Amino acid sequence: MNYTFDFNSITFAPLLRGLVVSLELTVAANIIGVIAGFGLALLLMSPYRLLRMPFMLFVEFFRCTPAIVQIVWIFYCVPMLFDVFLDPITMGVLALGLNLTAFNAEAYRASIQAVPREQIDAGIALGLNPWQRILHIVFPTAFRASIPVLLTNGIVIFQQSALVAIVAIADLMYEAKSLATETYRPIETFTVVALIYFAVSFPVTQIVGFLERRRQLLAS
Amino acid sequence: MTMSFSLPLVKMQALHKSYGDGAIQVLKGIDIEMKPGDRVVVIGPSGGGKSTLLRVMMGLEQIDSGSISFDGKPYISSEAPAKKTLIDTNVRRSIGMVFQHYTLFPHLTVIQNLMLAPCKVRGEPKASAQARAQALLERFGLGAKARAYPAQLSGGQKQRVAIARALMLDPKLMLFDEVTSALDPELVSEVEQVIMQLASQNMPMMIVTHDMWFAKNIASRVIFCAGGVVVEDGPPEQVLGSPKEERTKEFIDRVFHIKQ
Repeated sequence: MNYTFDFNSITFAPLLRGLVVSLELTVAANIIGVIAGFGLALLLMSPYRLLRMPFMLFVEFFRCTPAIVQIVWIFYCVPMLFDVFLDPITMGVLALGLNLTAFNAEAYRASIQAVPREQIDAGIALGLNPWQRILHIVFPTAFRASIPVLLTNGIVIFQQSALVAIVAIADLMYEAKSLATETYRPIETFTVVALIYFAVSFPVTQIVGFLERRRQLLAS
Repeated sequence: MTMSFSLPLVKMQALHKSYGDGAIQVLKGIDIEMKPGDRVVVIGPSGGGKSTLLRVMMGLEQIDSGSISFDGKPYISSEAPAKKTLIDTNVRRSIGMVFQHYTLFPHLTVIQNLMLAPCKVRGEPKASAQARAQALLERFGLGAKARAYPAQLSGGQKQRVAIARALMLDPKLMLFDEVTSALDPELVSEVEQVIMQLASQNMPMMIVTHDMWFAKNIASRVIFCAGGVVVEDGPPEQVLGSPKEERTKEFIDRVFHIKQ
């Protein structure tokens, strides 16, 4: 390898500006995903098939299509089909938020269904009514169990957010592409950008690992 | 003595229970009467319906037919055509149950585990529930653990907390479903002592256990259950010592043989 790295022309100001936009997208999408995902999980567990079906379809749409297709579709097809025109950032948040909602709903559903039958039996034996059992036993246990998956999904969305660059949202990836073109230094630029994405994501994956180890310890 | 002394505390009539639309019959007509103050130990081979019987009494399982009444009030019955099990939850509240796997709520501290039901079910003020919970924990030698989480306790401690939690609702009958089976051998006695303590206060109880020593010591009556029916029912000296039925004898011989 005889390429000589030259980082002198890389200016950090636009990259940091882009990072802030990426983080904003991530936080907003996570707020949607954590809250709406819970509601969606409950609908997915509805005893009524007809009520369940459309929401299962919603989840499968996001699980079975590439995120980039979802983003492009929401950006170009939704305005034309439904006459809804929103600013790009809002569209980006919506696209990422709906994707995360689908994945978080599955995480919630799995952990609600993983609450041991015995815990519910204990609730019955203590005279708690069905609502009290759900509120005081099932939800708190399930929510705690789903935290590692929610964090993982949340940080995946941070990485997926790079895809919105293709619809001209000025996120970290978008700023990186501009900078690479301006400086003729794509290798340096994308190396720095990769490190920035890594620096944000790595601590979160470490926290997830810690939480999972602690859970195993507590479960034993 | 008054007439009420002879009134049964629990009366089970012709209990039938099956899984999978009658494919597997677990209870094939159980009739048991329990007098106040009875300490009934149910023994028998695995799959003989012992645990199912307790779970049915607690209303945790649907039944096919039959009924159970408590203190003269029928609280579990089966609606003939739909086979739907009807449960009177008000009556059921007089019964407490402790399970094999502790079933403490992992997200609550020990004292919160004890306070949840009294506060939510009965609307007891927090301060009063807390005082009662603390007193109960002290009595079981767990006063210092009030603020610990279940994961920080040993199996024996967890099971004692589970017993205390059930007692918070002042049950008139306690059901113990193999409560020492999941414990390390050295932790078994601390749990059994707590149950003995309750027995000495005349708490009526029904216990499913594999521990024949414990059965012998605590029972006022032993029921041998196998194949979904009561095979033998009598005082512990008889059922454990010189059983009348061949199946009981076989089981007792086998269990004591393993023990020695």
